[in-house]
Amino acid sequence: MAFQFEPSVVLETFPMLLRGLKYTVAITIGGLAVGFVLGAIAGLMKISRNGFFRNLAGIYIETIRGTPMLVQAMFLYYGVPMASGVRIPPLVAGIIVIAVNSGAYIAEIVRGAIQSINPGQMEAGRSIGLTRTQTMRYIIWPQAFRRMIPPLGNQFIISLKDTSLLMVIGVGELLRTGQEIVAVNFRAFEVYLAVGVVYLVMTLGIARALRALERHLRVVPGK
Amino acid sequence: MIRIENLHKSFGDLEVIKGIDLHVRPGEVVCIIGPSGSGKSTVLRCINRLEQPTSGRIIVDGHDVTDPKTNMNLVRAEATMVFQQFNLFPHMTVLHNVTLGPVKVRGMDSAQAEKLGLELLAKVGLAEKAHNYPEQLSGGQKQRVAIARALALQPKVILFDEPTSALDPELVGEVLEVMKQLAREGMTMVVVTHEMGFAKEVADRVIFIDGGRIQEEGAPETFFANPQNPRLRDFLGKVIAH
Repeated sequence: MAFQFEPSVVLETFPMLLRGLKYTVAITIGGLAVGFVLGAIAGLMKISRNGFFRNLAGIYIETIRGTPMLVQAMFLYYGVPMASGVRIPPLVAGIIVIAVNSGAYIAEIVRGAIQSINPGQMEAGRSIGLTRTQTMRYIIWPQAFRRMIPPLGNQFIISLKDTSLLMVIGVGELLRTGQEIVAVNFRAFEVYLAVGVVYLVMTLGIARALRALERHLRVVPGK
Repeated sequence: MIRIENLHKSFGDLEVIKGIDLHVRPGEVVCIIGPSGSGKSTVLRCINRLEQPTSGRIIVDGHDVTDPKTNMNLVRAEATMVFQQFNLFPHMTVLHNVTLGPVKVRGMDSAQAEKLGLELLAKVGLAEKAHNYPEQLSGGQKQRVAIARALALQPKVILFDEPTSALDPELVGEVLEVMKQLAREGMTMVVVTHEMGFAKEVADRVIFIDGGRIQEEGAPETFFANPQNPRLRDFLGKVIAH
């Protein structure tokens, strides 16, 4: 039997994917919100004058960057409960994995952005009597934050797509929902096409939103 | 106001300050001149401890800057600095640049700080730029904002680190004019500069630093008219020939 593309199946699939989409969105937003906080803390620790903090952040970043997220997810969901005796719900495990994983990359984005600010800014802040922390907060961070937006956009898109890996720990997200639909109707071509379109729409949305934010934060409009 | 005793500063193996003693009295304008790499900016940066002195003592307004226990944030507000590269905060309006110190360091309420900020911007001739951003200003205007930012702290002394060296020649005058006005009003100033005309006209005392040591100092009349040190004669010859 020759393959027959059925566009109507693609359209019918979208509403069925909504169930999975909810999880994908929840994990992405929750994971990245926590991941940004983790990343900001680890990034600041990485440039701290305190060697202990620097090392701690370094170990975190290298460990997470150096291992596949799939391994991290399976270790957390299947491995850790064997040691702790406490099972973690898939959704929570998913959010933790995305948070910890994106946090490591965001830490490097934060560190790079802060170090790219002219050291004269820190000197000027200190010279008017601000403390190091005040200078960081009022002078360095606001300038660094603007520079973080493009690489953060990349990371947000990567993390959104990475949520699809969480199907291996039984999170009913978008891709897994698609897989379940295929198991019933055998229309792999149409269903996975629809799944891909949904991811694409979301990633394009993130890119747009961040470009708008970047424009909004520009100091002098139009420049 | 400032007392420097036997200041030494090394960067790694390189000793750039080799024992400097300097005393700046309240209301005095001291200009420091010397060739590039002579250590003159480093002396200035040791005064507010942007650089950590290797040895020696520095007392600013009664505070021992070389004592690690000294709260440098207070001292830095009393001995604030104007930089060669201006170092304005680009993400803040001109007015906000000026009011940040009074509000965060002096604890002034923001309405009062804005009033003070506008007065000071008027004083440096930039009242109409209050709500612009630094990138919309010329170099000379930026430096005048930086001076207003320093004045807003109501400091006891202002340290100027080559304030006109990054400016286009036609913009130097407007900055020197503001500095002359401050000098007339009795502000204590330590100025590292290449502007011999300014030093001659405004300084109470001129200091020549070369090779990490003070080679000669004196009132500008005798200092420029009758230099004793051969290195100073050589330096002045080169500078004035230009």
